[in-house]
Amino acid sequence: MEPLSSLEELTQALRCLPSVGPKAAQRMALHLLQHDREGAQRLALALEAAARGVRHCQRCNTFTEDEICTLCRSSKRDATLLCVVETPADLMMVEHTQAYAGLYFVLMGRLSPLDGIGPKEIRLDRLLKRALDGAVREVVLATNFTNEGEATAHYIAELLAARKLKVTRLARGVPVGGELEYVDSGTLAQALRERRLLAN
Amino acid sequence: MKQARERREDQPAFVLHAHPYRETSLIVEALTADYGRVALVARGAKRPRSELRGVLQAFQPLTLSWAGAGEIKTLTRAEWRGGLPLVAGSALLCGFYLNELLLKMLPREDAHPQLFRDYQSTLSKLAAGAEQAPALRQFEVQLLAQLGYALPLTHEVDSGLPVDPGARYYYAFDRGPRTLASEPERRYPLVRGTTLLALAQQDFSAPDAAVEAKRLMREVLDHYLERRTIFSRRVVRDIQALDEIADEDDDS
Ligand SMILES: [Zn+2]
Repeated sequence: MEPLSSLEELTQALRCLPSVGPKAAQRMALHLLQHDREGAQRLALALEAAARGVRHCQRCNTFTEDEICTLCRSSKRDATLLCVVETPADLMMVEHTQAYAGLYFVLMGRLSPLDGIGPKEIRLDRLLKRALDGAVREVVLATNFTNEGEATAHYIAELLAARKLKVTRLARGVPVGGELEYVDSGTLAQALRERRLLAN
Repeated sequence: MKQARERREDQPAFVLHAHPYRETSLIVEALTADYGRVALVARGAKRPRSELRGVLQAFQPLTLSWAGAGEIKTLTRAEWRGGLPLVAGSALLCGFYLNELLLKMLPREDAHPQLFRDYQSTLSKLAAGAEQAPALRQFEVQLLAQLGYALPLTHEVDSGLPVDPGARYYYAFDRGPRTLASEPERRYPLVRGTTLLALAQQDFSAPDAAVEAKRLMREVLDHYLERRTIFSRRVVRDIQALDEIADEDDDS
């Protein structure tokens, strides 16, 4: 069999990207070669550097190029608080609120038995070790409010509560500025069940 | 074979699972009351502000509308029906288990209205915090019966005699309980009469009946699953193992 030409090889390689089929891959490859050689060079270098240099932070499991990421090394963060999120994108969202000054643990996923993802795949053992380092007093569970995120939060809570750690979960309800008329029924139903006392 | 284009409106349904499809869509596997398990493309459901995505969650009663020909139809509308509290905590893992059983055992577009009712009532029990093991055993028995593998539990297959609670039996797949003497090759799981009757009556108060029923049902299900494994079981085991490992670390 003849070896793949560079163009074929590139087209094949691009297909590892999510939702890129054969047609889209070919379009991308041709675009790079035809219209944007400079962009292609830059992409190649950036990919090479990232694939070689990016790894998981030893403390929080997020992406970093160091042993321990800048956030985990920061002396300004409250080391008694540990917030558990599913993805680096979720971490950035929580950071963006500027309402949280503690540290993080990024699961890089969530329990999802129907997708073949269990506690081993999301490294719950590493989270346990991290949360039980002695400095952490409270673990804030900020996994998604999907069934998978809820199951993940439940089992982390069980594992940690048995070891005398305070475990909290993000509150859920009507969004800020939300008008009831436009809130979906599931959210409204849950907000009713989790209503809180204002006056007695 | 080319199938005729069909259009269904507001069918009672539960989402069993959804997985990403192309850039912005999901393929939803749903259990419906009148059309069995159907696969539907939810176009745009992965877009950041899609209202569909919040609705298309498992364990919640929905009404779904779809249209199309072929094996995968297009979801045209999804609405939250409500009336069932959220399945929460460890019951979620039971729910994943039910869904995995349905996905792996129930062929697509085979209507089982009774199975739909059984599923809904099992979810209600789980959501209400009922004891999980009996609810799961009952659903397993109901599922097999609906698939045409009803389990004989109360009478011996060979003699037709009632099962003796004090005796032990080999449970022959596709047939039922056989006495030890009639099954010299011992190819089947061994089970006590009390456990068979516990499964028949859905009353697991007898000592060890629940544990033995779980084991028997697992072997029976594995027989029909033909090597397809149920991942939810491994997840439960791994979580327990993690708990024990952490305990050992505590002690050291
Ligand atoms: Zn870090």
